Amino acid sequence: MSFLQPLISGILTGGVYALAGIGMSLVFGVMNISNFAHGDLMMLGMYLAFFAFTLLHIDPYISLVLIIPIAFLFGYMMEKVFINRVIHHPHQNQILLTVGLGLIMSNTALLAFTSDPKILTTTYSSSAFNLLGDVSVSVPLLLSFLITCLITVILYLFLSKTSTGMALRATSQNREAAQLMGINVAKMSAIAFGIGTALAATAGALIAPTYYIHPLAGHSFLLKAFTICVLGGLGSVVGAGVGGIIIGVVEAMSSTYLSSDWKDVIVFVIFLAVLLFRPQGLFGKKGGQ
Amino acid sequence: MKQIAFIAAIAAIAISLPLVIGESPYFIGILISLLMMAALSSAWNILGGYAGQYSFGHAAYFGAGAYTTLILLTLYNLNPLLCMAMGVVVASIIALITGSIVFRLRGHYFGLASIAVAEVVRLSVLNFEFTGGAQGILLSDVVLWDLDLNSKIPFYYGMLLVLAVTLAITAYLRKSKTGYYLQAIREDQDAASSLGINISFYKNKALLISAALTSVLGSLYGLYIRFIDTSAVLDLRLSIEIILTAIIGGVGTLWGPVVGALLLVPLAEMLRSNFFGDMLINAGLVSETSGVGMFLKDNLAHAHVLVYGIITVLCILYLPKGVLGLFRRKK
Repeated sequence: MSFLQPLISGILTGGVYALAGIGMSLVFGVMNISNFAHGDLMMLGMYLAFFAFTLLHIDPYISLVLIIPIAFLFGYMMEKVFINRVIHHPHQNQILLTVGLGLIMSNTALLAFTSDPKILTTTYSSSAFNLLGDVSVSVPLLLSFLITCLITVILYLFLSKTSTGMALRATSQNREAAQLMGINVAKMSAIAFGIGTALAATAGALIAPTYYIHPLAGHSFLLKAFTICVLGGLGSVVGAGVGGIIIGVVEAMSSTYLSSDWKDVIVFVIFLAVLLFRPQGLFGKKGGQ
Repeated sequence: MKQIAFIAAIAAIAISLPLVIGESPYFIGILISLLMMAALSSAWNILGGYAGQYSFGHAAYFGAGAYTTLILLTLYNLNPLLCMAMGVVVASIIALITGSIVFRLRGHYFGLASIAVAEVVRLSVLNFEFTGGAQGILLSDVVLWDLDLNSKIPFYYGMLLVLAVTLAITAYLRKSKTGYYLQAIREDQDAASSLGINISFYKNKALLISAALTSVLGSLYGLYIRFIDTSAVLDLRLSIEIILTAIIGGVGTLWGPVVGALLLVPLAEMLRSNFFGDMLINAGLVSETSGVGMFLKDNLAHAHVLVYGIITVLCILYLPKGVLGLFRRKK
């Protein structure tokens, strides 16, 4: 039974990681940009959920209805104002621009909300039920996981069935060819960044009830999101989904069987091992460049 | 000839500066930070600027130098210079591991992997016992020859020496075969490879030189401050400050990192000491007891990372070649 416990909580947490990873992977696929502000966008989602709860008394899961459009617009504008100006620049300039934007977000949050960690406590925050006898399942984590599944399905349908979704995938496969087919690739970039931001903020909001909320919390999630993307294959949305679950389970397993101090080290070692042995990731295109 | 006179003038100023400003520990302290950041950024520039491999994890090499030196000193009380050499060995091992993993790949991977390696180093140091964990390492006393290591002056000259060596290596590399190879790799890796350049070898060479110099600076810093912990010497923030300094001055230029440090370090110091807030208050523009005055006093000192973020964004958008690039264009 002790084996099932970390497996199940790992899968549930991994679902939320997957959401953040999918957002980053989508941006990477469509725009070929590593978004170093992704973790800070997650942090903004956490604070949005926190303030929706404390000021407006909206349940963090319900508040997603507000957070998703706000975050989408924020990401869309951010792409229009900043990111699209470096889309033809070298990678390092793109990375540094997003690093700078991330520093601005996290340190503005630090000034505005102070460095005291905030905790979002709902009535069900610490409630859990037992499954199969002695495996305890946390209610907020389960809810987060179910919402993640719902959003992933919606995103999948959007990408595969709608014309905008298909245009996004076409841009991701070959930007120039997509442009020649009359797809407005600049608009697709902004939409992709908007969706990426919305997914990051959603992941932040979903994790808010079970995590401490801090202006610099995005930092550790950023590196996790990168690991997930590289594990799944940079640019692969399906890969990021699977990668998220794997990372969640690995983390939970290493906390249980090793020590929670070393779980982040294990995650980064996996990251480096993937680069060493399978740089294209689990689902990435061959070539890995 | 003009160039030699220029370098001689700068060297003369740098060497005589402590004599001119006297023993004011405050100013010497700022100058040491300035020299250190200029040297760190120049060392990074060998890899990032000339070979085009942006490392986002140089804190790992800095930390390797600082931790190795302080651990060996506290445990065995060896000669500090020997400890420093051991630091270089440790940093080189980390660099070789990083290089062997990621130099086969290109594009985004080197940047990402350099962060991952730096984080593995940081978290391991934080979790191990012999590194002092979260408490860090405190060094009580250092003895090297007859130097008065309680004074800041020896460290000023130490940093200056490392900066001079780093600049000399950069200047030499620029005109050497290795330097041309590195620049060829930066401009077009496939073309460089098809001309028979062993890409991975030269990238590793640049990384090793860069990491070794960074590690020496880490050792010096550790001996100077005598207290290190992971947030001081291994943090991602430090890696980013190093890159930012080079970017602002001008990546891939000899003097760019120095110019960047001349601009950024005093700015950071002014923000930290709330120079701007005090200036506004003294000028009578803002009252010290008013809401704005209180806000500035409380927050401006913590805002220097925010200012760094704003500068990074503006620099990438409007000045991607740095301050030196600005002058070059005007010519």
